[in-house]
Amino acid sequence: MKTSAYILGTLLLLSNLGYAQSEDEPKLEINGFVRNFTGVLLAPPNEYSIIQNTLNLEFRLQSDKFALYANPYYFQYPNKADEFRLREAYVDIYLDKFDFRLGKQQIVWGQADGVFITDIVSPLDLTDFLMRDFNEIRIGVNAAKINYYPSYDHSFELVWMPSFTPGVLPEDGSMWRPPVDFAAPPTFDNSNSGVPFNLESSEVFLKYSMSKAWADIQLMGAYTWDDAPAMHVTPIAPPDPAAPGLLIKPEHHRLALAGMSFNTQVADFVIRGEGAYYFNKYYQTADPTATDFLVEKNFINYVVGLDKTIGDWKFSTQFIQRVIIDYDEQIKENEVDNLATLLISKSMFRETVRLEWFSYHGLTTNDALMRIRGFYYPMDAVSLELGANIFTGTEGMFGQYNDNDMVYARIKYNF
Amino acid sequence: MKHLKVMSVMLIIAITTIVMPAKVQAQTGKEIAWKVYDRPSPKDGESDMTMTLINSKGKERVRYLHQFLKEYDEVEKKVMFFKAPADVKNTSFLNYSYDDDRDDDQWLYLPALKKVKRISGGSKDDYFMGSDFTYEDLEKRSPNKDVHKLLKSETLNGEQCYVIESTPKEEGQYSKRVAWVIKDKWIPLKIEFYDEDEELLKVLTIPEFKQLKGYWTVITQNMENVQRSHKTVIKLSNIELEKGLGDEKFTQRAMMKGL
Repeated sequence: MKTSAYILGTLLLLSNLGYAQSEDEPKLEINGFVRNFTGVLLAPPNEYSIIQNTLNLEFRLQSDKFALYANPYYFQYPNKADEFRLREAYVDIYLDKFDFRLGKQQIVWGQADGVFITDIVSPLDLTDFLMRDFNEIRIGVNAAKINYYPSYDHSFELVWMPSFTPGVLPEDGSMWRPPVDFAAPPTFDNSNSGVPFNLESSEVFLKYSMSKAWADIQLMGAYTWDDAPAMHVTPIAPPDPAAPGLLIKPEHHRLALAGMSFNTQVADFVIRGEGAYYFNKYYQTADPTATDFLVEKNFINYVVGLDKTIGDWKFSTQFIQRVIIDYDEQIKENEVDNLATLLISKSMFRETVRLEWFSYHGLTTNDALMRIRGFYYPMDAVSLELGANIFTGTEGMFGQYNDNDMVYARIKYNF
Repeated sequence: MKHLKVMSVMLIIAITTIVMPAKVQAQTGKEIAWKVYDRPSPKDGESDMTMTLINSKGKERVRYLHQFLKEYDEVEKKVMFFKAPADVKNTSFLNYSYDDDRDDDQWLYLPALKKVKRISGGSKDDYFMGSDFTYEDLEKRSPNKDVHKLLKSETLNGEQCYVIESTPKEEGQYSKRVAWVIKDKWIPLKIEFYDEDEELLKVLTIPEFKQLKGYWTVITQNMENVQRSHKTVIKLSNIELEKGLGDEKFTQRAMMKGL
């Protein structure tokens, strides 16, 4: 109720400003979409994986010197509680060499598609795993963002987030909830799962960008929190010594990273890449001498991608690798994890039909997610999407969802 | 002997008569192509652009854009902002087109993705936004890429025109183009595009042009695909030339900020 009142207040504020200044330069634009998303699992008894109706609104009041923007959305479900939230709400101020953005905002970094290497400013809402559109997966964060443009092809971006916004995991009972893998029955204690709401706990991100005709290059650094909480494990003495248990205390820890990204065109190919060195990530270990069965390790994560267009066909592929530095064999994750993506897309009939294949391939875990879909645009602003999400493998990020193969339809009207 | 000499001279004259006009015509065709290419154009400008896609049943789909353009020494920079329909609104497209044979550099900003992506510039055969214009159709083509031949002169829509045939030196999306170029204005009033089988594929017509700030400017152009019976009409409005547009218009910052 409080959220609804806040959103309503924001909308009224925007509407009033638009009305009050209608004779001046700023103008209010209202856009959005309505959408039905219905999916059904392929495995009997063919349960619905999702039935979701969406109203997404975008309010923008913009002039040369400032802008106000709000993006409330409403998810209606027949089988669970509805969601009415504000994805973004911010103020932009444009000066000669500076841009300021204050408020709740999605911040997107990096060059990769569908993977998150340096794109870690906005945490992820994985309620439906990766099934949502990427602009709906990123969670808006409360932040002050300052962009400084000393020249047309160089810029600096500083992001300060006064408070930590955690990622969202699938809820208990969800088909997307990852299976818990502990050696003994766990008891969860969430008393340390929060991050203090104070200045000391704020997060800072800095990026330098150079944009030339021959290449775009970014260098970035961050002092943030790990969105994924570390699981501090303590054996507990149960009443029955024959049935030992584990006390699990999720806790977020600081994470620092330094990275870079680039893109350039060579012949008819666009080559993209990004990589980051992460400091002090907590990994679970089987080493009984490790405190809470956790060890701190640095790791490298990078991606290299290649894009090519041939007529109406578009091809894109990426190779992603994550390497844990100074690896210990008792760490539960693999030392090296390799992933690849493939995108093939074709437009036809004057762009009224588009077919798309996008797949993730876990090269280390031998699993995959294949997203096959077709779009039909019978008229402007209306799209009909039919698709299938197919999981293969038995382990890994995608193999764990092998029972979640589905087909779905989405009908969307933009206004 | 004298008879033979006279015959030889007559033969030389005959050959010269046949060959020389052809040589003159070839040079003239090339000159006309260069006149079109070098037609004075403004250093910069902006306009609204309406693109209407009409299918074989007469059903229309309309796209609204705003574009900025600026000429530099060796590069032409263009940025286009999509205003409608709603599903592409606030998308922007930045293009650097070079005078030499370098591929264009292109970037696309998709508001849903919230980032600017460099896209492959090597796909000039692609149709622009589902229209009947390819990317190549919308840019100036260097006359050096074709062999030009003056076919004839004739009147079209009341305008005296040269008709030139341009055949690409290297294989491309068209086997040849035939253009009706208005004498002394150097605007192609009509262009026929032939496919690889040398069958007529598309016809471009210019029903409206006018002089703005001393520059002959195409206002409306129709591209009809005669094989598929659909066409596209591009119409410019609110044209402003020589505004002294700043370099900041042609940056990723401007793409993300929008109009």
